Amino acid sequence: MSSTQSSRRSVPHTAYFPDKSGGLLPTRWCAAIVDDLRELRRCSPVIQNLVSQELRVRYQRSFLGFFWTLLNPILMMATMTVVFAQLLGRGSDWRGYAIFLFAGQVPWGLLASSLSDCAFCIIGNEGLIRKIYVPKLVFPVSRVLFSVVNFALSMVAMFVLLIPLGARPSWPLLFLPISVLLFSTFILGLGVLIAVLNTFYRDLGHLVGVGLQAWYFLTPILYEASRFKTHPWFLTLNPAYLYIRQFQIIIRDGLWPDLGIVAASAVVAVVSLGIGYAAYKSLEHKLVFRL
Amino acid sequence: METELSASVNPPVVLDDVSLRFVSYRDKHYSFKRAMLDLVLRRQDAEAVAEFWALRHINLQIRKGERIGILGHNGAGKSTLLRLMARIYPPTEGKLTVRGTVAPLIEMGAGFNPELSGADNILLNGALLGFSKRAMKERMADIWDFTELGEFADMPLKYYSSGMYMRLAFAVASSVEPEILLIDESLGVGDAGFQNKAKERIRQLLDRSHVVIIVSHDMAALRELCNRGIRLEHGRVVADGPIDELIDGYLEDARRLAAGAV
Repeated sequence: MSSTQSSRRSVPHTAYFPDKSGGLLPTRWCAAIVDDLRELRRCSPVIQNLVSQELRVRYQRSFLGFFWTLLNPILMMATMTVVFAQLLGRGSDWRGYAIFLFAGQVPWGLLASSLSDCAFCIIGNEGLIRKIYVPKLVFPVSRVLFSVVNFALSMVAMFVLLIPLGARPSWPLLFLPISVLLFSTFILGLGVLIAVLNTFYRDLGHLVGVGLQAWYFLTPILYEASRFKTHPWFLTLNPAYLYIRQFQIIIRDGLWPDLGIVAASAVVAVVSLGIGYAAYKSLEHKLVFRL
Repeated sequence: METELSASVNPPVVLDDVSLRFVSYRDKHYSFKRAMLDLVLRRQDAEAVAEFWALRHINLQIRKGERIGILGHNGAGKSTLLRLMARIYPPTEGKLTVRGTVAPLIEMGAGFNPELSGADNILLNGALLGFSKRAMKERMADIWDFTELGEFADMPLKYYSSGMYMRLAFAVASSVEPEILLIDESLGVGDAGFQNKAKERIRQLLDRSHVVIIVSHDMAALRELCNRGIRLEHGRVVADGPIDELIDGYLEDARRLAAGAV
């Protein structure tokens, strides 16, 4: 039997239950974060595997796999362009409207698919969690990563498709990775929160779909925020708008987003991740008993 | 922070007054409505109907080189103890320290995905056990060799027969070099020929592991494989010592119980 020393984990990891120090001190939180990051890195092959198997399952078996995933947004956007360009009095400028729609709709798809997947990611992996130790953060993280990969693919493909309608590459597009990073951080925080809470309150999963629908219409994706005479409260309070707006500025307007909106979205992303993580930490050890 | 020195001196597994409680809920699908009502009516955890201590005040130190057999009747907490050490269940009270890589042979094929090919499942399962893609690729040839399923490597797992499935699961789980090996009984895998191979492979695996903990009702196997026994009754450790003494005591008690019942 060949046993290769190199393949063994170099650092023997030590697990303590409960965590070594008590209380709600900031030092404890720092230690917990460092611990969890180390665990996640240790489990990065699992995440990588979960993501790649999802991608494979989705794309492998049908020749047109990728095309099918694009078909839905294309059809949706075509229909919405036909209806809303008329309705919103932009019939003459339907090409511009299509690009505007694209800039908001595709990022929204990232949020919607991530959150609805996250809601069931811990429950759905019950079999695994009860059989073998995995840090449960692995599941929301891999769901969001999977959605981000899909998002990036459809973003590029849709952009190419929209070139005949007037979509043009511009330098500010280089800022997109940062926007995507901030957006997915925000989504991850919310996703972890939903994943954990849904394990305790199973009806939350049903609310997610409904909530997303309402949230969609409260976010200026179909319509322009500038159509409101005064900035309504639901835009001020809408964290998703910070990100969607960024995408619209970059993709549709071809401008660099101003520092204010980037800073605000970064703050919101960190707060969201913090809330999700705190919820995870406080319920982590009860999860397995609630499955 | 642990230093290198203390890590090598400290026992790999330490349980310090560990207890584990299961709570049965009348309705596992605790709803928002209920939560709100509980909050308004100031009910404390009203939906919990029964609690049950699966493990009670367990103190154990398991040192390098120990081969431990866990004895006890059904429901004594043997498998729960194993799952606790595999970090699947966190202890309700007390302190658990596990130092080193753990390979749980508790449930075969945990995390297998039927849509993926056998080869991909080896990588996935290996990842769950904490081994990188490269490390698993190094073991791939050995696994196919052992299972004699090499020709099906690229076939999705859902087309495997259940025997093939178990063979693959066993081969993956036993191909790693863990520091701490946890084995739950019922390792009867496949036909007679394969079972002999499996036994041989477990023996090799035991030799590679620093600590082995086995749960089984097969006294002969425990006598042969283990050097220390732990006996559980109703979630408590009632005896701890050399395996032969423990097994003799256990069988004696069982005999007396049977005689008393007559």
